[in-house]
Amino acid sequence: MISVQNLVKEFPKKDGSKFYAVDDVSFTANDNEIVCLLGVNGAGKTTTMRVLSTVFQPSGGTATIHGWDIRKDPDKVRENLGFLSGDTGLYNRLRVHEFIRYFGRLYSMDDKDITQRMDEMAELLDMKDFMDKKIEFLSTGMKQKVSIVRSIIHDPPVMILDEPTSGLDILTARNIISFIRSCKERGKCVLFSTHIMREAERLADRIVMIHKGKILAEGSLDLLREETGQMDLDDIFVHYVNLFSDEVEVQAHEF
Amino acid sequence: MNFRKVMIVFRKELMEVLRDKRTLFTTLLLPVILYPVLIIGFNAIMTRQTGVLEERGATVAIIDSVNTQISSRLIAGLEEIPNFSFIPAGDDVQGLYDAKEIQSVVTLKDSLAGDGLIKYHIYIQYDAANERSNMTYGKIFDVLEDIETELISDQLQISGISPELMNMVDVRGRDTADSQKKMGMILGMFLPYIMIIMLFTGASVVAADLVAGEKERKTLETLLVASVGRLEIVIGKFLTIITLSMLNLIVNLFSISFSLRFMLSQSGLDMAGAGMPIKAILILLAAMLPLATLFAAILLSISTFSRNMKEARTYESPLMMVSMIMAMISFLPAIEMNSLMAMIPIVNISLLFKAVMVNEYQVSHLMITILSTVVLVIIAIWGSIKLFNNEGVLMRSDDDSSSLKGIKKNRANFFTPYNGMVYFTLALLLLYYVASRWQMQDLARGLVMTQVIVIALPVFILLKVLKMKAAPVLRITMPRLKELILIPFIAIPATVIVAILAQFINSIYPFPEHYLESLGKLFEMNLPLWGSFLVVAVAPGFCEELLFRGLFPRFFQKYGMKVNIVITALLFAAFHLDPFRFVPVFLLGALLGYLTLRSGSIIHSMIAHTINNGLALLISVFSGSQIIKLVMMDSENLHYWVVIPAAIILFLALRAFHRFTERGEEICAES
Repeated sequence: MISVQNLVKEFPKKDGSKFYAVDDVSFTANDNEIVCLLGVNGAGKTTTMRVLSTVFQPSGGTATIHGWDIRKDPDKVRENLGFLSGDTGLYNRLRVHEFIRYFGRLYSMDDKDITQRMDEMAELLDMKDFMDKKIEFLSTGMKQKVSIVRSIIHDPPVMILDEPTSGLDILTARNIISFIRSCKERGKCVLFSTHIMREAERLADRIVMIHKGKILAEGSLDLLREETGQMDLDDIFVHYVNLFSDEVEVQAHEF
Repeated sequence: MNFRKVMIVFRKELMEVLRDKRTLFTTLLLPVILYPVLIIGFNAIMTRQTGVLEERGATVAIIDSVNTQISSRLIAGLEEIPNFSFIPAGDDVQGLYDAKEIQSVVTLKDSLAGDGLIKYHIYIQYDAANERSNMTYGKIFDVLEDIETELISDQLQISGISPELMNMVDVRGRDTADSQKKMGMILGMFLPYIMIIMLFTGASVVAADLVAGEKERKTLETLLVASVGRLEIVIGKFLTIITLSMLNLIVNLFSISFSLRFMLSQSGLDMAGAGMPIKAILILLAAMLPLATLFAAILLSISTFSRNMKEARTYESPLMMVSMIMAMISFLPAIEMNSLMAMIPIVNISLLFKAVMVNEYQVSHLMITILSTVVLVIIAIWGSIKLFNNEGVLMRSDDDSSSLKGIKKNRANFFTPYNGMVYFTLALLLLYYVASRWQMQDLARGLVMTQVIVIALPVFILLKVLKMKAAPVLRITMPRLKELILIPFIAIPATVIVAILAQFINSIYPFPEHYLESLGKLFEMNLPLWGSFLVVAVAPGFCEELLFRGLFPRFFQKYGMKVNIVITALLFAAFHLDPFRFVPVFLLGALLGYLTLRSGSIIHSMIAHTINNGLALLISVFSGSQIIKLVMMDSENLHYWVVIPAAIILFLALRAFHRFTERGEEICAES
């Protein structure tokens, strides 16, 4: 499971002031659950996920992944985490099986286990034809499958996927969607981010709305519908954004 | 650190790099092809070319104004040169020569020497810049010399003297160097240069690919989220670069060695059979390994810092230039290895290489070279690990680069360290190219013009352009009286201490004579004392302070006061274009920076600077007087003991100044 507590991530701006990409964010995602981090571009989704994957150090607060603290045990966090995003590219000069084996070895797996797991996944995702090809010669869809296998080769209990479908065509995006579902079926904790409302509606057990680095609202789709009185997720999202802007305005007036 | 993971990273990187055709080409294929083509090809072309030239022969015009038996014999000898044809000179001989129809004009004249003998003068007109004409000259000269010997020997025989008389004094050198050593000397000249450059290029291709390349291809994040620590990644990549550059080096050495062997066996010199000694190669590889490591660490840092490979290559090129220049030291005949040289990176390898090739190296130099490089390596590795742990650097993307547009948009942001360095470079260029010319024409006027036009005026123009008020930006504010009173008590002892330091440096590494002379000129200008004082003390005191304590600290203020003082003092020292006074000027600059930034008023440092320069002038003018003699050893040097009272006064005055300006830091932070 993922548990995020008062997470803050600030970046220095050119003029010396600070920019809060993630501002006091807390939420949880349980095992056997799909949680969606929903927000427009620049809301802080990617930064949150980079902090969770230990690529970035948090400026404040912390989080645990499968019980391991991202500050204290980054190594353990990475061991228990499968991470996939538009920025996790592939080594073009390697062959598919070499690439997957490389990551398997980094996760301290036996070569025998790697082979076994790789064969399983190749069967499942229909990849057998191109396991020996160099990655640079693969199509986008094929590459996406390789990325999936790479992220899950060590069978992690927690999966984090940052905008996994962005830039993909419908057929390739479907691979990802079914992959996310299958992760849940295996009892994993899945956190994925998107700005596409339909994806959130279809996949998520719970939705965490994030805007300008802050959490707007959190809950299942039904709960959010009940709270706002809107049916469509688009409208629900806009409702919360307006509420948030009003609050900021009120705060501004108080000074 | 998990060494197994390091090796996993290393093996994968090596495999990937070796699959890159570009890397493969530059590290392995290029050296294999380059040297044979270069050495053998060049050699073949040279011999071919000379052969072709000789085959083509030449046409030579002869003007024989002597017409004796001897001149005919000389001409007959010339006519025997194969492929040469001789024509009698007509009126158009110069025209033919200019049109390159004939390659040479030979004129024979004679004169009567004092003892009644006829002397023959032969003038060979030729064009030294033309290969064919040059060859013609060489052939004619050789033949004529042979005939001269024959003629003299004939004459001697007629006079009844043995022609052997001509060989009465037979001079011959006996070369004790064996062919191995000769070979070593030649190789020792240019090989270090080639090897160092090869090492660098080999490493840079790989290094740029390893981190900047990963950023460009968006694979870095894939690696960072995997179960591997940053230290393990850095070390793995680092080993890859070292391996590749050493591999590159070995391939290079073998290729050179093979090509040379081939060339020498072809050339038929007495060096045939001499190759590069294996022992020397092994020693050199051992010495090159730390350098390869150093290059690897520095290049890895650059690669980590860069956003993409192109940027990495841009940052690498100045480093490459510096390395090339340092490596060139092996070309200089006079410079030899010593313990000091052994501490300078690259230079030490270059000189060691030279010494090893002629088998005259000292083990201590080898050790110092390796040790000093290892120290630098540790610093460089530490730097690349630091950088790799800096997420701002590691995840830098293309969009947060500062552009020129940004500067125009935001005037407040003009004061960035980058712009500061640009300004400094421009000022330095102006000083070097324009100001030095002024000073050569007229020292006093040139100095004042430099101060006002090159140093002070641009500061005000810049602020005008930026629409900023000069006084607050440059900290031109009236200081408090009690601080001001302290300034002489700071400036005078500081000047004395710095002067003694310079004196101390001089006694260890004596300044060159011409340098001291040019410095002395400053105090011997044809001016009244107050004039000299204006030129040497007041003008720099005001103008240089405006730039170095007024403008420059604004560029670097984001680093905080301490670093700011150090940076501006470094620039101040560099601006004096004087390696001998670098340290003293730096210390003075740091003190002046402290006075201004601490108090918030530039007036302090202006006065202190003027006192410092003025004091040097006064000492040189009044060096004869009794009071000054008290503290002087001789006409130029102060007594070393003077440093003690000076240090005490400086310490006390600075402590008081520091206490008086307790508020100063706030003033500084506000502005």
